[in-house]
Amino acid sequence: MIEDVRRVVAERLEELDGVVALRRSSEGVAPHVFRKGDDLSELEIAPRYPLMTVVSRLHKAFPDIRLGIVARGCDERAFIEMAKREQVDPDRLFIIGLACTEEEAQECHCSAPFPQNLLVGTPPPPGSPNPMVADYDALSLEERRAFWQGQFVKCLKCYGCRNICPECFCEACAMEDAAWVEPGLLAPPFPVFHLIRGMHMASRCVACRQCELVCPAHIPLTVLYDLMRRDMETMLGYVPGADIEASPPLSVTLEQAPLCVTVEA
Amino acid sequence: MCVEFEPRIVAFMCNWCTYAGADSAGVARMESPANVLPIRVMCSGRVSPEMVLRAFRAGADGVLVMGCHIGDCHYSSGNHRTIKRVPLLRNLLGYAGIDPDRLRLAWVSAAEAPRFVQVTKEFTDTIRELGPLSQEVAG
Repeated sequence: MIEDVRRVVAERLEELDGVVALRRSSEGVAPHVFRKGDDLSELEIAPRYPLMTVVSRLHKAFPDIRLGIVARGCDERAFIEMAKREQVDPDRLFIIGLACTEEEAQECHCSAPFPQNLLVGTPPPPGSPNPMVADYDALSLEERRAFWQGQFVKCLKCYGCRNICPECFCEACAMEDAAWVEPGLLAPPFPVFHLIRGMHMASRCVACRQCELVCPAHIPLTVLYDLMRRDMETMLGYVPGADIEASPPLSVTLEQAPLCVTVEA
Repeated sequence: MCVEFEPRIVAFMCNWCTYAGADSAGVARMESPANVLPIRVMCSGRVSPEMVLRAFRAGADGVLVMGCHIGDCHYSSGNHRTIKRVPLLRNLLGYAGIDPDRLRLAWVSAAEAPRFVQVTKEFTDTIRELGPLSQEVAG
């Protein structure tokens, strides 16, 4: 499969300024912009890494550059949400879509483990949902509280979850604003720190699982975000990353994005 | 010694509808609970999740978000954001183990002084029954 990726990248480099992918060197594997003529035997497809952040930075720094990206399903979903918020230019990005393996799909509980613009690989069956999310509604408030307090107390406030997130691109972060999160506390204060992020992720989280993968305290953040994704779908019919034409519903009117449920007020 | 619990409630009120409604309740000498701390905002759509969460963090046992009825927003559609945001935030509070009933959205127009009194009384009773938030977020 990796040979197919290298072949498609070589073809695309005939017309693109560069292709963002992973590259293996003596230092390890890291994001890289492959240019025409580069040694593509160094191109890697694992481990998963949120490459859209790299594309976004390049698009902003070089307004004319035309790029490609070797993208998994989650990378493409991240692209879709970033494009809506003007973090990348869809006219200057070509998606070289790569299907995940069945094993990877299971590991990520991924419901869409391949991109819409699939060029390499065959779509695996979707991963099964995280059992904790599937069974969450049965938990009492006390059980939920005990669980999350046990988790959040481990937080080192490293901001790794935010830094790795392809959808966290605000120039000023509410989680670093003393008006909302008083500084100097470890673990960071509940409920502000983690629930601000929970709300901000509601219409953006594309379920790439990177926040949970990088968390040094192993806090299962995606349980919370998956629940918010579920609510976005049931309440507003919105699945982040699914449709580039759909407006982020929290930012537009009821006419543009109506509620699917009745809200008492 | 047992001191009876008195809820602390933060109420975000929009400048154009609810704040005027609360004002007319006062002018008409209607009694509303003193538990409610009013915070005037220009629009209920201005009330970010950060503001609600910070209110809880700062010691509120309950938070009210109040504004113009849909269709009456001074800014046309500011409250469209509110009606989507608040239910989501209520759910998120519930997922984290904080009773979602500690957050309530209510439309109160400038002409609805009795409704302002009714909503604030009902909500204060609800929170009194739930008890202090510190029981839920200790530590």
